[in-house]
Amino acid sequence: MHAAERLVNLTIALLEARRPMTFDELRRRTRYYPQPEHATARRMFERDKELLRSLGVPIRTEQAYGMEEPGYRIDRREYELRDLHLEPDEVTALALAAELVAPAELALALAKVSARGPDPDPDVVPAARLPLDVTAVDGAAAVVVERRRVRFPYRTADGREEPREVEPYGVVRRRRAWYLVGRDVARDGLRGFRLDRMTGPLEAVGEAGAFEVPDGLDLAAVVSGPEARPVAVDLEVTPEGVRDVVARGGRDVGPGAHGTRVMRVEGLDRVRDLAWLLAISPEVAVLGPPEVRDDVAHGLHRVVEAHAEVPS
Amino acid sequence: MSRVPDVVRMLTLVPWLLERPGASIAEIAAAFATTEEAIRTELDHLDYCGLPGLGGGDLIDVRILGDTVVVGMADELRRPMRTTPAETLRLLLAASQAERMLGPAAGALTRAVAKLRAALGVPEDAVVVVEPEAGDLVEELRAAVVAGRRVRISYRGRGDTTAVDRDLDPWRLELHDGAWYLHAHDHGAGAARIFRLDRAAALRVTEQPVTVPVPAKLEAPRYVPGPEDPEVEVLLGPGGTWLLDAVTVAPEATGAAPGGRTARFRVGAPEWFARLILMAGGHAEVRDPSGMRTLVHRRALAGLERLERSSGAASGTSDA
Repeated sequence: MHAAERLVNLTIALLEARRPMTFDELRRRTRYYPQPEHATARRMFERDKELLRSLGVPIRTEQAYGMEEPGYRIDRREYELRDLHLEPDEVTALALAAELVAPAELALALAKVSARGPDPDPDVVPAARLPLDVTAVDGAAAVVVERRRVRFPYRTADGREEPREVEPYGVVRRRRAWYLVGRDVARDGLRGFRLDRMTGPLEAVGEAGAFEVPDGLDLAAVVSGPEARPVAVDLEVTPEGVRDVVARGGRDVGPGAHGTRVMRVEGLDRVRDLAWLLAISPEVAVLGPPEVRDDVAHGLHRVVEAHAEVPS
Repeated sequence: MSRVPDVVRMLTLVPWLLERPGASIAEIAAAFATTEEAIRTELDHLDYCGLPGLGGGDLIDVRILGDTVVVGMADELRRPMRTTPAETLRLLLAASQAERMLGPAAGALTRAVAKLRAALGVPEDAVVVVEPEAGDLVEELRAAVVAGRRVRISYRGRGDTTAVDRDLDPWRLELHDGAWYLHAHDHGAGAARIFRLDRAAALRVTEQPVTVPVPAKLEAPRYVPGPEDPEVEVLLGPGGTWLLDAVTVAPEATGAAPGGRTARFRVGAPEWFARLILMAGGHAEVRDPSGMRTLVHRRALAGLERLERSSGAASGTSDA
């Protein structure tokens, strides 16, 4: 018998079992572990059981009163995905999202959630690609979904390695980096931890459902730093600069001096968007707020200084 | 492609096929993003699966007639397995990433995600993808691609000092290294081109249908420096090393230097590169050639002059 058939059949047998089945019962009933050596057969069964568990098949180990050996079974309610009652447009949207982002990595998950639902509309054209390595957070997924505390070694910004214990609330992808966001237990505060600074595996500690995620939590704000207060900036823009400003959502608010336009861009980040304001500065002057104007002037002075003389 | 049968896929194929009697092998392979050969192998194995017992047990009935498949006698696997936590988060990540791209379909995606979270007990907002910031331009362009309409964009290419209007048959949008690109046929150039959308503005979707079909293979959006492009050497201070990420051109060489590190790039578009150096606000210094140094110096002075001439007393407020 092929290993894949044996694994599928073991799953079916444990799903259909009315009570936990011991290894000896399974062996007698299925004849899958025919090795004459009991220990050899047992090892093979243990390998199958662990493989199935690693694939997400929830095999329970139970020892009922009066049983000499532990028994095994699968609780159908733990195994089965309950019906999601997805509407056709909802399946289509999910399939489209998968197609845009990571079709191969999402196909099986999508087949599971839509197995008993309608098929996606075949005429929807993706028209774009937004690749994202969705497997990057696989290692952190279980603790987030099950709400378990987690421990990991972490390299801090100054290069030291420290152990951390965290109640993980979620994962954030921001500016090409992955973060686990949660409550740092020792510091009792919300923190974001970059996945690429975790220097060892995540180790789940304690029970599932050990904490509640606070209401109204803004995960993205936790990793964006204190500088993220949005600023509306007024700009004096030459005709050549208008398109750059429009591309950032700039709005014309009236004429400026010398044939320029005055435009306003909302929601800029004083720190992050300084680079953009510097890049367009030959065509676009910042009128206010004064601190942003000063930032640009300061940056331009430094560029002038750095390039004033012929280098030695 | 691996020939090892995928056990989870076999367990998923059964409920999927019970709902879709007569599905074709090609359809199944497409839905599971694998090969027809892999599906045939797994269906062959499934035909030997079932509830084990004496006398052969109750086997699943897999009938393949020509190209169509019918599965029966499989009530014990009538529902699919739950998605694993990793699969669940992958789906939610994809939804978060795609959300802003879907236009009118975004509402349906939000509903689907809510059902998924409820069924699997995932906390609300467990995943957030902040990038990409797909603006209106991306959404309008995607609609134009779907509708097959020619567009006119004003675009400031790497070599252009101002934006130029271009008539394009839009083919596909692509997010690459944190930036949006459009693959299109450029009617002015009479050839396929890739446009970086943060250099584009003022889109107009025309009534004209596209005439040049999408090629089978589209190049990755990446600037390949020509051998005749001059080489520029830059000194990067600690606050300027991000430039190495921002430049889509791989540096020819990097090295350590007092006060930072050096990098050499081949630069085909001096104006574009000067803007990049301005962005570093003094944390990056062009060392060589002197023409490039002079250009950066001149642009920074122009920026200062414009700033000094403007009436700085004007308003400007924080949103908060």
